[in-house]
Amino acid sequence: MSTDKITSNEQDAQLRAGIDRSLRHPVMFFLTSGAAWLAVSIILGIVSSAKMHSPEFLDSCSWLTYGRTQAAHLNALIYGWGFQAAFGLVIWLMARLSRQECRVAGIILTAGHIWNLGVSAGIIGILAGHGTGMPWMEFPSFAWPVLLLSYFAIVIWSFIQFQVRPAGHVYISQWYLMAAMIWFPWVYITANVLLHIVPGNPVMAAGINAWYKSSLIFLFFTPIALGVAFYLTPKVSGRPIRSYSLAKTGFWSLAVIMPWAGMQKLTGAPIPYFIPYLGAGATVLFFIPAFTAAMNLLRTAFADSEAVSNSPTLRFTMAGIVGLIVMAFAAVFLNLPGSTLKLSQFSMSGYGFEVLALYAFFSLVMFGGIYFIVPRITQREWLSRRLIKMHFFFSIYGIVTVAIVAIFGGIQQGIGQEAFDQPWTSAALRAYPYAWAITIAWCFILFSNLFFFLHLTVMWLRLGRRSTHPTLLVASHGHSPHGAEGDIDNSGTVSAH
Amino acid sequence: MSFRTFFLSLFASFGVAWLAIIVVPYFKMRSIEPLSMGEDAIGTDAVFIPKRAGRITDGAEVYAENGCYLCHSQLIRPTYAGNDLFRPDWAGLAADEDRGDTRRETNAYDYAGEDFAQIGIMRMGPDLSNLGRRVEALYSKNISPEEWLYRHLYNPRWKPERRLSTCPSFRFLFNETQLTGNPSDEALPFAGKNGGEISPKPEARALVSYLLSLKKDQAVPDSLNFAPITPAPAEQAAPAVPAKPADAPAEEAPAP
Repeated sequence: MSTDKITSNEQDAQLRAGIDRSLRHPVMFFLTSGAAWLAVSIILGIVSSAKMHSPEFLDSCSWLTYGRTQAAHLNALIYGWGFQAAFGLVIWLMARLSRQECRVAGIILTAGHIWNLGVSAGIIGILAGHGTGMPWMEFPSFAWPVLLLSYFAIVIWSFIQFQVRPAGHVYISQWYLMAAMIWFPWVYITANVLLHIVPGNPVMAAGINAWYKSSLIFLFFTPIALGVAFYLTPKVSGRPIRSYSLAKTGFWSLAVIMPWAGMQKLTGAPIPYFIPYLGAGATVLFFIPAFTAAMNLLRTAFADSEAVSNSPTLRFTMAGIVGLIVMAFAAVFLNLPGSTLKLSQFSMSGYGFEVLALYAFFSLVMFGGIYFIVPRITQREWLSRRLIKMHFFFSIYGIVTVAIVAIFGGIQQGIGQEAFDQPWTSAALRAYPYAWAITIAWCFILFSNLFFFLHLTVMWLRLGRRSTHPTLLVASHGHSPHGAEGDIDNSGTVSAH
Repeated sequence: MSFRTFFLSLFASFGVAWLAIIVVPYFKMRSIEPLSMGEDAIGTDAVFIPKRAGRITDGAEVYAENGCYLCHSQLIRPTYAGNDLFRPDWAGLAADEDRGDTRRETNAYDYAGEDFAQIGIMRMGPDLSNLGRRVEALYSKNISPEEWLYRHLYNPRWKPERRLSTCPSFRFLFNETQLTGNPSDEALPFAGKNGGEISPKPEARALVSYLLSLKKDQAVPDSLNFAPITPAPAEQAAPAVPAKPADAPAEEAPAP
């Protein structure tokens, strides 16, 4: 090894450490407040799903009525947890990939607080009975400009870092993240301006709302999670992406197909006929971007299956990718016009699919990212492998239950609804067991996230282990499955391996 | 690929869909053409005016704020998309004493007066497209439809046959006042927690007024009327308003 090489490695490590240090506060803020919102959302989810089978549960006050807690639950999950986890990972990844230190941590941190204020006011607004009644956009209408402005104040710096990056190759993760960061404001402004400012036909307004929900899943959460997974998988396994051209194909198929999805939820409504069919077709075709990315990532990671079972990051990420496959399967299975779409259109499978997308895929990949990033920016290692394992397994139990509800419960319920010669009660009764299953699933997920939140808080307080060995899920410290990223220099000295 | 090409490709791939399914349909549907009812017996060409009576704007607000749309839909799908039309009381009444079979699918005029069509996302409860007519004609036997809905909102499980309902109670839309003198006309036949009298708050009045405006009993133009054709009188196609439906015994949809 030449001295040149050592110097460049040292500089490289110093640069990475500098980037991590510059982003420590905003990233940790987004991750911990996101995790806190996740807990709030899960508790609201348990309360509301318990009301689905036991309507008298906590029904004495207006704040806790099903219609408000359920709306607050999903909005907290999306804007409280989902977006903040995305912010934390995006600003860190974009800085790392553009090799630029963050010089505006204060502004990002302030914008993050404003975002949190907006979300809190929105959730309180919903619970107090000022929701707008548009799914996923229930925040009272004062909230959206606040969220939009703080969004720009958070991510604009990542674009600037990208522009001033050292010239060279643009990695696939950057494509995904940049695209998501451009799509989201476009979708958000379109939906909010059309629904809050330019009133139009009420049916088309409902259509735009359905498109908004779908776009948030397919054009924000999906590309963010894929961008993160395409970074973590090669980084941790120490192998290049199996097929880089396939990754590009996956990206562009996502960009071309997914903007058309969403309005299949209005099949049969008085809007132009072609729109729901396009929506159903596009949603079914989600399997193309999903499978290309998932197969690519799985084959990259499982070339060394030991690494997947040892590294918390890789294990969570791969579980998320399996979640993506299940989600793609559900997208095909639930949206076939003429056969299953009519069964799933007004059944639990809609909610199940959303939770599948937001938790089984997006959140698990985010957890993978968090297990990777936090030791680097706090310079401490995760305290306990047992806490990580608990988090993993209870999440999986919970989410498998949700998937079953989404796919089978939804279809069962739909079959009951379509049986028009039976009284309505028989259709409603079919939903009972699945409503119970959702409550149990959220309890599992809450339990798993208690471990996660506890662990993350400990890390934020910098009470983690001082060690250069990453916390792995096996007892022996034989060899590090972390590839090039194994040298994380927690002791503070820069060394070149 | 440069950032410029990347951005332009992204702009194109998203922009086409955005224009085709969002912007153009939205602005085209902002002003839908008035529909002709077809020539009537005298030979005049009337325009279809959707009629809804009730406190639609503030009632819809109460409906939205309390998340009714999370369990109830307001959409009768055509038969290619589902069987909603065949339920005897969802899409109109299969056997309406005044009008005969009024069942039809939802049209773009059904949400007149609302900003946002509460099409709904899940049916834990039944579709509400025709709730107003259903309550008037079927549920409220000896009491007014308003009274029936107040009782239902206060306690959805108060009738034995509805004991399995999972609809939440909206007790918070009602006042409990201590009884001094004669009970009010609007008092519900339930005792409050403190033995007081239960009467609806303004929000409950608005909501009930809105719910009663959900009806499918107005005659619609032929171009919108896809009601199942009743087998009995085959020759009566021409008049827009059927003179007298003689089809009561031939109902195909069984009782609930």
